[in-house]
Amino acid sequence: MSAVLSIARAQVAVTLRERITLFWFLVFPLFVLALMTLVFSNVGEDGGDMTFEITLVNLDRPSPGGADFSSGIAEALRHLGEPREGGEDPLFALHVPGEDVEPHAYLDEELAALRVGRRAAVVVIPQGFSENAARAAFASGETVSSKLSVHTSGGRTSSDLAASILDQVFATVDREILTRLGLFDAGRSVVLARREIGTQGREFRYVDFLLPGVVLMGFLTAGLFSVPGTILFGREQKILRTYWVTPLDVPRYFAGFALGHVALCALQFACVVLLGRFAFGARVDLLQPVPLLYLVLAAATSLAIGFLIAAVARTGNAGMAIANIVNMPMMFLGGLFFPIGELSPALRAAMLANPVTYLADGLRASTGAEAGVLPPVATVAVPLAWIALCVGVAAFRLRLDEKR
Amino acid sequence: MTELRALLAAELRIFVRDKTSLTFTFLFPLLFILIFGSLMGGMGSAEGRRLGLVVVGGDAETLRTVVAQIGQLETTEYVAPADLDAAVTSRDVDFGLVWDGRTLTTVVDVRRFEENSAYEEIARGIASRFNLAIQGREPLVDVEKVVEGSGASADWLTRVLPGILAFSVLSAGLFAVAGHITSMKQRRLLDRLVVTPMHPVNLVAAVVVSRLGVVFASTLITLAAAIQVFRVELHVHWVRYVASVVAATVGSMGLGTAIALVVRQPSSAGSLANVLSITMMFVSGIYFPVEIMPAFLRAVSAAMPLRYMADALRYATGVMDMSPARFWATNAVLLGLGVALLPVLSRYLVRAERR
Repeated sequence: MSAVLSIARAQVAVTLRERITLFWFLVFPLFVLALMTLVFSNVGEDGGDMTFEITLVNLDRPSPGGADFSSGIAEALRHLGEPREGGEDPLFALHVPGEDVEPHAYLDEELAALRVGRRAAVVVIPQGFSENAARAAFASGETVSSKLSVHTSGGRTSSDLAASILDQVFATVDREILTRLGLFDAGRSVVLARREIGTQGREFRYVDFLLPGVVLMGFLTAGLFSVPGTILFGREQKILRTYWVTPLDVPRYFAGFALGHVALCALQFACVVLLGRFAFGARVDLLQPVPLLYLVLAAATSLAIGFLIAAVARTGNAGMAIANIVNMPMMFLGGLFFPIGELSPALRAAMLANPVTYLADGLRASTGAEAGVLPPVATVAVPLAWIALCVGVAAFRLRLDEKR
Repeated sequence: MTELRALLAAELRIFVRDKTSLTFTFLFPLLFILIFGSLMGGMGSAEGRRLGLVVVGGDAETLRTVVAQIGQLETTEYVAPADLDAAVTSRDVDFGLVWDGRTLTTVVDVRRFEENSAYEEIARGIASRFNLAIQGREPLVDVEKVVEGSGASADWLTRVLPGILAFSVLSAGLFAVAGHITSMKQRRLLDRLVVTPMHPVNLVAAVVVSRLGVVFASTLITLAAAIQVFRVELHVHWVRYVASVVAATVGSMGLGTAIALVVRQPSSAGSLANVLSITMMFVSGIYFPVEIMPAFLRAVSAAMPLRYMADALRYATGVMDMSPARFWATNAVLLGLGVALLPVLSRYLVRAERR
């Protein structure tokens, strides 16, 4: 037993002493958690705290006494150009031509500004807009419509976001016009509501989704890199041979190695959870029996995959290259950072073969914060099958230079 | 010249033998495109979205007609809202609509936060048309969308591709110094080299030239793969492309030099370069738009060279318009950074290691 503990202690000590290992093992998961939580802290809020540079060129000149619908649109956009609740910057910084400016020349200048990213969108209400809208409202049996155009800049997200907000504004224009003309029965209007599912009644926060993912990422990285690194470089540098001239045997070496790995995973887990909870207000509770069992399963799976890599790679460098190649697809196709939506058949197959997919889903569902997407049995059975496969292959192929 | 040629051959040989560097340089950009292209390729578009529909109120046929008019949606009808919830949860459909005769409820899986705004936009469009249709009205106002500039047809992957290329260039340049050279220093290889007649400038020149070759090969392979596999449409302006890649590579090596000079232990330079490159990747608008980030991160983003490298490459590949003055100024600054700092690297090579 003392030999097992010594090996475990040695593994922990080596990891904590080596700067590079320490960085990837401890600093990197904390860094990813902090960075991604900050990056996505605005997600779900239309436009977030951005102010979009919008130009409105209203070429409509309604005849005196005629209907004027364009000024209503201009007013709605002007309203979005006022400071938001709480004194925040307005959603739109609205640019309109001055009284003495020729509107067509102004429009050309603004479209040029739009192309190079100085404007997010340019809205043009053409001449005759109100007249055409009124005609369309009273037209019977014929399709007549009044056009307005929204110009956006290709390849720019700010432009897409601005267009999306403008869509919301323009979605109500028809109704406004018909109401003003007395042609819309407000009593029969459709009420649009929104219902969220997937979080079992709790408020969704990205950090609660991300935190279990980062914990699993840390476990996976530790298994994928530290196991082949220790075994393959240990073999190359003949460190393993020095073990085998002592009374230590292979099973006890592996037991110590696994214990050290689990201890390091526990340390990593504690750091990630503490940062998530106290710095970013994460509320997901991983310290319950079932989530903890999933975490043990995750540590065992990552350890087993690490042994598989050590078994198939011939050199330490090759092992690191294989670990690098499989690490990224496993993380991103496992839904550690983002939920997985629709995928091509090949990637869907890869996602369904990936043990991380099952561990992430099972872990999140077991906290009670989210509804699981996959059958609960599969979230345990698939990682176990991977462990069996990896251990089986490693048992046949892994060379430890143990023959004396 | 012979000395430079020998060093250049050695540099290329070292690179080719280093499997991890090869993986990062050639395979990673392709993997990024493959995975992110599939994961987020349809982000923001209505095309091919799967809608689950439950109609328990009147005007059912009107609603079905409106949904069909929206087009590009694969619609599946469910009998009860609970069935729809199960389908949304298991991702058999992307989102749902429940009509009870008065309220049209959009059902979204809140965990699909990166796509829900697109679903809600589709739902608003349906509600708006349905609102008119049940009163026997057609839409009065046709909102025409006009996309200006060279990136008119740029979908998510087309926009992301130049960013991936820029990140490849940054990594190759950064790690050529804050990885490769610092590692040579730590392993005392430089100590052996500097006692030969080799001039340090020749070593720097060999590293720069070899990395430029590697970067061109890597970015061209990535471009070709994206065009062939994902049918990405790019209009590459080759003069601008070459200028951007050269300036970005040399500028990144300048940044690598700054890291090597700042960090006390050569081995820590690689870790710092990793932190810096990953931070830049996340906040420079490579995969996630800068516009979705909070204000302070947008300010951080504005200080990141990768953001400008990516913009320059977007312009060079015809994905985005930019004023030519800004493009050349960006490249001049990046090139200037490298040209100013690379001579310092020559001195670093021959300097005794700090302890």
